Formats: sequence, C-alpha cells, structure tokens
Amino acid sequence: MSQLVFDPSKVMTIDYTQRTEYLDGLEAIKAAHKVLKEITYTPSLPDKGYTNRTLYVNVGSLEIKEKPVTQQMKDVFIGGRGFGLYHLWNAVKPTTRWNDPENEIIISPGPVSGITQYAGTGKSLVVSLSPQTEIPIDSNVGGFYGPLLKFSGFDALELQGKSDKDIILFIDGVKGIIRIEEAPTDPVDSHVLAEILTHMYAENEADLPNISVVSTGAAAEHSLIGMLNFSFYDRRRKCVRFKQAGRGGIGSVFRNKRIRALVVRGPKVAGDLNHPADPETIAKTGIKYHKEIRENDGSQCMMRRNGTAHIVEIMDAYDLLPVHNFQYGSHPDTHKIDSSYWQQRCTQHTVDGCWYGCSMACAKGADGLVLRTGPYKGDMVTVDGPEYENAAGLGSNCGVFDPDYLLELNFYCDTYGICTITYGTLTAFVMECYQRGILDKQRTGGLEMTWGNAEADLEMMHQMARGEGFGKIAGMGVKRMKEYFIRNGYGDPQLINDIGMENKGLEYSQYMSKESLAQQGGYALTNKGPQHDEAWLIFMDMVNKQLPTFEDKAEALYYFPLFRTWFGLNGFCKLPWNDVVPANNSSQPEAHKVPEHVQNYVDLFTATTGIQITKEDLIVQSAKVYNFQRVFNIRMGKGLRLHDAAPYRSLGPVTKEEYESRAERYDKQIVDEMGLDPKGKGTEEKMALHREWRTGRFSQLMDAVYTRRGWTLDGVPTLERLKELGLDAFPEVVEVVKQHL
Amino acid sequence: MKQLVIDFQKCDAGRNCNHECELECAIKVFKVDDPAQAALQIKAYEDGGGHAVLCDQCGDCVVVCPSEALKRNKLGVVMINKTVCVGCYMCIGFCEKDAFMRNSDWITPHKCTSCGICVKVCPHGALAIVDVPEPAVRII
Amino acid sequence: MINVNEEPLDWHPGMTIRDILRQKNYRFPMLVIHVNDVLVQKKDYDTTTVPDGAVVKVIHLISGG
Repeated sequence: MSQLVFDPSKVMTIDYTQRTEYLDGLEAIKAAHKVLKEITYTPSLPDKGYTNRTLYVNVGSLEIKEKPVTQQMKDVFIGGRGFGLYHLWNAVKPTTRWNDPENEIIISPGPVSGITQYAGTGKSLVVSLSPQTEIPIDSNVGGFYGPLLKFSGFDALELQGKSDKDIILFIDGVKGIIRIEEAPTDPVDSHVLAEILTHMYAENEADLPNISVVSTGAAAEHSLIGMLNFSFYDRRRKCVRFKQAGRGGIGSVFRNKRIRALVVRGPKVAGDLNHPADPETIAKTGIKYHKEIRENDGSQCMMRRNGTAHIVEIMDAYDLLPVHNFQYGSHPDTHKIDSSYWQQRCTQHTVDGCWYGCSMACAKGADGLVLRTGPYKGDMVTVDGPEYENAAGLGSNCGVFDPDYLLELNFYCDTYGICTITYGTLTAFVMECYQRGILDKQRTGGLEMTWGNAEADLEMMHQMARGEGFGKIAGMGVKRMKEYFIRNGYGDPQLINDIGMENKGLEYSQYMSKESLAQQGGYALTNKGPQHDEAWLIFMDMVNKQLPTFEDKAEALYYFPLFRTWFGLNGFCKLPWNDVVPANNSSQPEAHKVPEHVQNYVDLFTATTGIQITKEDLIVQSAKVYNFQRVFNIRMGKGLRLHDAAPYRSLGPVTKEEYESRAERYDKQIVDEMGLDPKGKGTEEKMALHREWRTGRFSQLMDAVYTRRGWTLDGVPTLERLKELGLDAFPEVVEVVKQHL
Repeated sequence: MKQLVIDFQKCDAGRNCNHECELECAIKVFKVDDPAQAALQIKAYEDGGGHAVLCDQCGDCVVVCPSEALKRNKLGVVMINKTVCVGCYMCIGFCEKDAFMRNSDWITPHKCTSCGICVKVCPHGALAIVDVPEPAVRII
Repeated sequence: MINVNEEPLDWHPGMTIRDILRQKNYRFPMLVIHVNDVLVQKKDYDTTTVPDGAVVKVIHLISGG
C-alpha cells in the first residue's frame, strides 16, 4: 500500500465567506446585559512564564479576588493541570459532588503556554469534579482563552459557586476590568453565542483576534456529557472557531453554575509576551521545528493537509478502527470517511492552527456545510474537524459513513456543547443495544437506532439539546444508561455491562484495544478514565511486539502516562511530539520516544522558566502531579483497583460474531497461549476460555503496573513513593493514603 | 512584481569587493552595522563561484503567516507589518530559500523589500531589480 | 521464510522491503525498519532486498490522537 498523495486540484472550491451570520440580535442582547459586579485590577504580563497570581471568582456570591502563586505550587504542580488539581483539592471535600456549589472549574494555561515560536503551545487545562466519573477530570484544550488569560495577568482562573441567573464573566486584560454580567437573552448554542460575544466585546475589527470566548450549548444543560468550546478568531475566514475541552462533562458543570460564557479580551499578542528567560533558545528551537514540519510532514502524517483524520485509513488497515460499538476493527466503507476525502473537503489554502506558531496546523475546517436537520436547518456553517476521534466515533463506530451527516453530527455536538468522543461511544452502545433487542422503538420513543441511521442519531442529539425523550436518557452517558437498562429489565445484565464501553464512568475513546493488552491498561489504568491521552501503545505492543513481558508493558505504562502528563502541566499539545519526526529519528536510540523532540521540550521549559531540567526531571515533575491525582481519586472514594476494572468488550470478544470475525487469531491463541486444542470445541466454549485467559492477564497486568508505579496491589501510592516525590509535605495527602495501607 | 536578481557572471562572491550590497542593506535599511543582518547574503564557494541567499518574493511566507502580517504591496513585494506580527517565525521555517532573516535583538523577523538599495552600490553591477509575474499561491 | 515482527512470512527471491510492507498491509508512514539489525532508510524501501531467513523488525512509531 502506498501513502496517500495530496492532489491540490481535487480540493473542493468552497466560498467560505458565504457562511450564515448570526449578528442580527447583537445590540438587543447587549442592551439586556446587566452588570452584577465590576472590579478593576492591574493587568500584568508573565515573567518567565508565570504571572504569579490566580483569579478566584465565585459566581454565586459574586466574590472576585486575586490569589498569589506560591513557590510550592510551582515546584510541585508546575501549572496547567497541576494548578487545576491543586485548587480543586483545596476547594472540595470528599463528600462534594459535581453539582455542589463548592465544585470548581479551573482553567490554567501552564508556564510555556502562550509562546508563539513552537508548535502546539497555546493550550490550557480545564479541571473540575466530573458529573460522569465523580472524580477530577482534566481536559487539554486549544483556542486562545488560556494564553489571553495569562497575558491579562492570571496563571489560572478558579470558578466556584452557583449563580441563580445566567451570567457572563468578562476579563478585560487591557483596561484591567473584571465584570460579572447578567446575560438574560443571550443565545445558548456556541456557534451563535461566541460569534455574538466576540463582536460584542471587541472594540473594533482589529480587536477581534484578541477576544476569546468559553461557552457550551443546549445539550450541556440537559446531560452529563457537556463540553466547553474555547474560541479563536480565524482571520482569513473572518469567523469564530473552536477547540473543545471535551471529556468528562465539564460543560455540564459550567451550565449547572449557570455560566453562559467566559470572555477574555487580552492585549495584542506579540512574540515576547511570555517573557521567557532565554528567548534565543526558544526562537532557535521553534525555527528548527518549523523546518522539520516543512521538510517531513508531506511524506509522514500530512497533518497540515488532513489533521488527525490521517489515521482513519491507517486504523482501518490495522484492524483498529472501532466499528459498530468496538466489535470490529475495519469496514469496507471506511474509504468514504478517510483522509483522502477530508483533504478534499477541508479548505486547504488557509492557515489552520489553534494558536499562533503552530506549524503542524491540524485544526482543519470543513466549510460550506448546509445543515439538513435541527434548529439551524438550512444554515451554512463551517465545521471544525473532523478530527480522527470524530470520524471514528460519530462515523465508523456507529456505522455512519456519509461524510455530510458525519459533519452535521460533528457540528451539532460542538454547538450543543457535548463531547464528540463521548457522544460517539454512547451512541454506538445505544445502537448495539437496539440491534440486540435490549432497546426497541418503544423504549427509544420511536428512534430507530439501527447501525448507520444518521437521521435517528441526529434526532437523538436534538432531543438531548431539548432535554426530551430518549435523548435525555442517552445524555446520562453509558454508565448510567447501563444501570437504567438493567434496572428496567431491558436485557441480560452481563451483556449490557460487557458492551457498554466505559470505565470509571467515562466513555472509551476511539481505538480498539481488544488485541493489545498494553492498550487495555493504557485505557483502564488511567487517572481520569479511558482516554488515549495517557498512553497509546497499540503499535508498540500488538504490531511491533516490542512489549513481550508484563514488565515491558508496565514500563511503558509507567513512562508514557508520565511523559504525556507533562504536556498538560505546561500548556503543550501532544501532537507535535510524535506526529512528525526528524528525518534521522529512525537511527536514534529509543526512536519511539522521538528523542530530539523530548530534548526540545526540556529546552523550551528551561528557556521559559529559567529552571534547568533534564528529561529525567520531566518525568519526576509529572509523577508528582500524577500521584497527587491518584490520591485525589482515592479521597473522592474511587481510585482503587476495583475502579480500574475494564468492560469485557475492551479486553476480548463478547459475542459469537466477534469471535468468528477473528476466529483464526483467537483459535491460534488457544493453542499458543493457553496450550489447548480448539478442535472440537464450540464457539461458546472457546469464548469462555478466552474470557478466563484475557481477564486473568489483565489482572496480572494491573499487578505489574501498580508495582512499577510504586503503588500497592490495590492501586494506592505507597508512603515511600509519596516521600520520594515530596508529596509527604501535604499532610492531607498522606492521611488519605494511610487509610488504605 | 519587483524581484531582486543576481548575475554570477558579474558577482564574484565578495572576492574583490567588500560586500557593499550586504553592508548597505544592513545599515540603510535595518540600521545595524552588521552585514550578517542584511536581507541578502552572498557566500563564496571554496572552489570558485558563489551562492546568494535572496528573497524572490515567492509568497510562501504570506500563506503560512497566521496573523496576516505578511502581504504583498502594490508592487507585488511581500512586506511585513511589524505591529501585526506575532513573532512565530513560521515565515523563517517555511522559507525554502532561507531568505527570511532574524536578529536576536528584535522580536519580529525581517526580509528583503526589493528596494534596490543594494543594486546601486554593487561595484560589479551584478544585482538588478526586475519585474516578473507573481507566482500562483501555493498550498503549503 | 523470513520473520517479520515475530511472525513468519513466506520469502521469495528479490523480495524488497516494499513487498513486505504491502503483504503485511503496513500502511503507517512512520516506520523504523531493521533487517538483521541493520537500519534501512525510507528511501531504500523499494530497492533493499531481504535475504531468506532474515529477521525483519518493522517498528511503527506511536500514533493515536
């Protein structure tokens, strides 16, 4: 198979200026705003990546105050996700639930975030107690809000309390004003709301890129799977676009607090606003990386052409693309939604990137989609994406192979404020339940949830946004649906539990882990739930056979989650790490770690903060936060071995059809791995053998991973490990752990 | 569009001159007394002949600039608007001719504006500003 | 017979790296390939032939959004 070649002549010509505009009601909406509280403050720019203060806002009591960033916060938590977890720990009690006023949403960009010279450096991390998992969730998001927040003077924003009316928090980082406004008539859905607010708060056209809006949509109000859209102004398209803090339902917390939007107006961005300790190193490292992208991207992942969707066809080729609720790994219709299509459908002659200086530019935009359903039927919109997760989750996993329907699903997920990954996985579950008779037309209120029925799929989403019918049930997420279906006697509890792809209450993201034990751990042995952002080990394990022993797998499940945690402490995106590699990478030791890029990150951190670190220190920095988060989970009543259990669909074949689709592989494993003879055994019997073997080795993997991480076999960090990491300086942390040793 | 070109039949790559072109550019255009900061660079090959780093105004940098700081002027010359530039240096990294320059003391990069100041001072008359058609915009 | 990523694969004279990638359907572009512990550069995939009995490692770099 040869690699896809980009043909510019095939790119569809779409006039992206013909979008539907939503600015008509702006003046009336603005006039209805009422100032509830306004304070002034002194804006400041960061020094070596830190502004050294955070902003606390209680949307219930309207209290607004600054807090200092302590040296201990920087030493132990670095920033980003670390700061989020630190503030959240101090805000909540073990009894706090997601919808209690003391739950917080913390947004923190991290010290490196906001530099403009290296790819993927505009990220912020959002942390909250998740309505889905009831433990801390963290979500790594692009868009301009995080960097502009920092350039307005704050290393983090803490939102606490609950308002009794819909409000907007406006931070003017130029004039030094923080204002809480009542927003009684603002539109609900993000693509309308953010467009209006961007124009409302910008002082003139040149000011538009200095505005960023955080918002969600109608479905976040009626579900537990709400997400947050972080906006950035696309100068060429002259439109507001989004990146999403998707996982774990933070958008639902946002609306539960009745926050309509956060708006920041930052200073005009320049190359030196982060005031790094060593700008020369940052400049050189950035230019070196831009050249690497220019020279290599076209023959490697083609991120600039296809974004993350470049792996749709790759995953299909390796039997890893989730099809029909993670039953199968490939589908004959994949070519309809793979990157050969998206690179024609996404506008190519423009600049994509969710922060300045991102030469990887994966944020594709599909322009000119005319909506066929829902409240915006007939409107022409620009859709962000589809990213791989959307194409796989909303597409193949639900059997939807019509690209326009896929884009419409993607669009509505975004504007309604729900996570595309979560929605894809939960819909795949609903569809499988429907196909297997666990659900029927009566139970779904008339929705015919057969594989590939995009119209029913969209109607379920519209119901979710209206808070009606079966859409409201689906909006509880897979875990609560499972409980609901079992409680109502809809079907065999074991089957329902086996096929519902969630762990800790969070839906799986879109990779098939069935044939990779290491990836089963990569999903289930995570802090926040089954998300591929900790460890993606399928190729190393399943294809390369680089991780033959439990110890090898455990080492990978030690290193990669810590390495990747670090991106979230500093405000980096993960993609520039490994979606392009230097031309000589293959001749480097440990090529799979992309050693030159690891060194870039070490250099960028040191050049920003002035603190000398090594690549080993980087792992220690992460380990502090990672273990703190694990203890946080335990403090909230989760975080133990039993909470790391995985649904059987993620470990092996649940049904006869699945077994038979890979019978040769599975029969061979009975011989090679179990030392038995499959001949004469029926499929049911062979499935039982596999179940015993697969759950057994998953348990063995847990033992090995916990041991490598310095945890007890119940998954609790030991006192020695906490001491080693300096976390014994927090008596509350030690106290939580002691109760479980 | 106006484009700076060099004739290596005439230029001897600095063997019998003082790099007047670079010096004049650095001093008059960029106000620095350092030829290394000039928007054109002439290098001599050891075995004779030479090589010039020149901006041909191809416009690739206009395509990759995220802040629309790079635009063609009426003469087709790619100009940088320093008040809009965010200093990301993608223009430098994506320039196939290595003709986009950076000075450690400045946050914004700089480039040749086809002003012709170097043309006037070349003792060999090797440089010229010519008028050529604008190339089509590339997808980069 | 050769060994590719711990699995046997039929060998034929003149078999190139490209042939192996095609047969195994290894479509991922980010590969590090060693034949009997010797690195093969990407530009040589079409021309490098693999001897019978070779141990071929086709290391796929990490992917996944």
